[in-house]
Amino acid sequence: MSAPRYSLEIEGVSKYFGDKVAVRNLSANIPTGSIYGFLGPNGAGKTTTIRMIMDILHPDNGSISLFGGLTPANCKDRLGYLPEEKGLYKKMRTGELVTYFGLLKGLSRADAKRKAIASLEKFGLGHVINSRCDTLSKGMGQKVQIIATLLHGPDLVILDEPFSGLDPINVEIVRNIILELKQSGNTVIFSTHVMEQAEQICDYIMLINKGEKILDGTLEKIKQSSHETIQIEYEGDNACPKELIGVSRVHDMGKMAELSLNEGADPHQILQSLMGRIKIRSFQVKQPSLHEIFVRQIGSSAE
Amino acid sequence: MSLDRAFYIARREYVENIRTKGFWFGILMLPIMLLIIAIVPIIINSTKAPKSYTVIDQSGWLHESIQKEIDHRDFIHYLSEPIDSTFHTPFDDLRRLVNNEDAQSLSTITANLFSSPLAVSADFDALQIPTTTKQQIIKNRDAARQWWHSLSRQEKSKLSARISTNHFLLSRHKDLTPSALNKAIQANELFAYFKIEADPLRSSSPVLYVSNNLTDTELKSWLQQFATDVVRKARLKDKNVDPTIASWINEPLIFRGIQIDAEGHEESVNSDDVIRQWLPVVFVYLLWISILISSQMLLTNTIEEKSNKLIEVLLSSVSPLVLMAGKIAGIAATGLTIILFWGAMLLMILGVLPQVLGASLPPLGEIILSDPWFLGSFIVYFILGYLLYAAILVGLGSVCNNLKEAQNLTLPVQLIQMLPLLVMIPIGKDPNGLLAQTLSYFPPLTPFVMMNRAAAPPTSMEYFLTTLLLLISIVVALWVAAKIFRIGILMTGKPPSILAIIKLLRQPVVFQPTDTNNSFLPPTEK
Repeated sequence: MSAPRYSLEIEGVSKYFGDKVAVRNLSANIPTGSIYGFLGPNGAGKTTTIRMIMDILHPDNGSISLFGGLTPANCKDRLGYLPEEKGLYKKMRTGELVTYFGLLKGLSRADAKRKAIASLEKFGLGHVINSRCDTLSKGMGQKVQIIATLLHGPDLVILDEPFSGLDPINVEIVRNIILELKQSGNTVIFSTHVMEQAEQICDYIMLINKGEKILDGTLEKIKQSSHETIQIEYEGDNACPKELIGVSRVHDMGKMAELSLNEGADPHQILQSLMGRIKIRSFQVKQPSLHEIFVRQIGSSAE
Repeated sequence: MSLDRAFYIARREYVENIRTKGFWFGILMLPIMLLIIAIVPIIINSTKAPKSYTVIDQSGWLHESIQKEIDHRDFIHYLSEPIDSTFHTPFDDLRRLVNNEDAQSLSTITANLFSSPLAVSADFDALQIPTTTKQQIIKNRDAARQWWHSLSRQEKSKLSARISTNHFLLSRHKDLTPSALNKAIQANELFAYFKIEADPLRSSSPVLYVSNNLTDTELKSWLQQFATDVVRKARLKDKNVDPTIASWINEPLIFRGIQIDAEGHEESVNSDDVIRQWLPVVFVYLLWISILISSQMLLTNTIEEKSNKLIEVLLSSVSPLVLMAGKIAGIAATGLTIILFWGAMLLMILGVLPQVLGASLPPLGEIILSDPWFLGSFIVYFILGYLLYAAILVGLGSVCNNLKEAQNLTLPVQLIQMLPLLVMIPIGKDPNGLLAQTLSYFPPLTPFVMMNRAAAPPTSMEYFLTTLLLLISIVVALWVAAKIFRIGILMTGKPPSILAIIKLLRQPVVFQPTDTNNSFLPPTEK
């Protein structure tokens, strides 16, 4: 049996909370085996969309089809979900907690227990199997949650803001987990509002704002279809000048900046006018960052 | 298919509650508190220093007669004190004879018998006890009286807790003038004194009772009773009434309670029956407190679950209905554990208490265990009552984000939960009255009221109808709760008002159930 082309098909889905629109007429196809990013500012409707995929909320209109024709309620056991707001049962022991979530996903007692111990040990948490969850550090807690999410071997994994609150080492660990999932043929959806993270690992992205899809596709295509930008690194206490001829917008990060160009602007001229005012260490003309695309799109849709 | 998941959720709830120290500490508190409430007054009473008093007697005879009467009553107290296997006194054999027989009538007659050395009254002859017993009583009584009079005050006081000197002590004040005694009262050397007029037989000469504490009338009533007794006898003697006739006149009329048993026979009411009558009240209280604790536990627990951010993970694995069912079942198991624990404690305490207090108590444990229907109905009513309140509270609790919000929203429910305590005593007194019958049909009160009425059992029809009504209410409440729970559990921000919740119920589109297999309740409409 070959896997269907799309793990998830969202078709014209809308969700209203009273008069408030959370998601409006959203459609997307998530290819099997891909890493798919749901991007958008806070309150864009990412979490609502995910909750509808997980059968926690029910769409008012439209349909959601999983694994080639199943409804969300009928395949909960094939889905894994790490919500944005993460918590643990404080008084439970780590091993018990992971086992418990495995049981709720339909694993047998023996399986759940065996897998829980194996996974915790694999991620270097073997020493806290019998510790209570409230004794774990934040990073450990998050790892335990991810282990619990993945214990039953879900075909489609949905991670809502999986990197929030993690230090670089743990970000690396979570990133590796996501890549491993992809290598073993699983589909991963994750949502974030931090574009740099999405840029590094996503095959596909969808940009949502105010409940509506703004664009979607492979990361490559989206970048190619956008205007090039200038990315500089600079030194000193002076900020990167905001008013430059031929530059429509400056995204200043302190030591780095991304400059968005007007149609037909000359990068060389811009370099010259910059050099008189700040100390440039590097200067590149390249495809725009996802952040730049994000700001352009969200900015224009706000206008 | 989802039942096993509901079971896992229930088991987790249960295990998490059961294994905390706080849980056991909490449920241990109730029996300990009850024990303290029961024992402390007894201990305080037994260690209380006797109140000292004295008497200014201007009649020259009344005080002395009163003291004789008191001493005689003390003797009777000694005779009727239950035989204690560890504390032996010289006339235990005689006491055994006196105590062995049906208490009420015998004690009055023996009192008379022992009061006058001559009279073996007709009443004593008429007593339904063997002649040999009577002979033994008569043979020993004079010796017993002599022995009694040879004892010092301290020796007497040790023979029974009811001996008067343990409570009221006649002080030996030399200066019996009112001014000296007033000073003694002010100096707290004396609790009170009495002043008897020259001719107490005249109707218009009151006895003065002087004390700084007029709210504690114990001493006054106690002495008044003896004084009245003595004065009555003196008045009868004054008019040359024969002493045996006089004592016959003074004898109270004895009332005996009779009830009709199941076969229609008359049977005498003993203390066991009185206990059976009031035992349901104890169990109503137990039922009330365990339902209250369990349903509140569920409420707290639901809100905690909501605030610890796990709710989404749970809902991504199971449907809200399964989650709710699991939670309700888990707390129900916790509540049953509490009841069983308390039940075991209760039986244990009832077993040990008589030895601790050195008093004989009726065999409460045996009475309780002898009625399996009663215990069974208790468990059934716990489960039904709990389910009803659980459904209401879990529904309301699911829309709240913290306990304070929940307390405001559930205030009406909590007021209803207080009702059983208010109606408990009136219903216990009149278990088949209009109040009891009417309230039986009010489902939130049905378990408590029906339990309350168990002593004079309601008809089978009443049991059937009230239980049916209760079951219907539970199903409706669970169904409504499930509807609210579905969205409430994901709600954040200010909780909606009750009216808004009712409005939400009318919007079926929010609750589209996609998987009716997951529901143990009637499917909600599309």
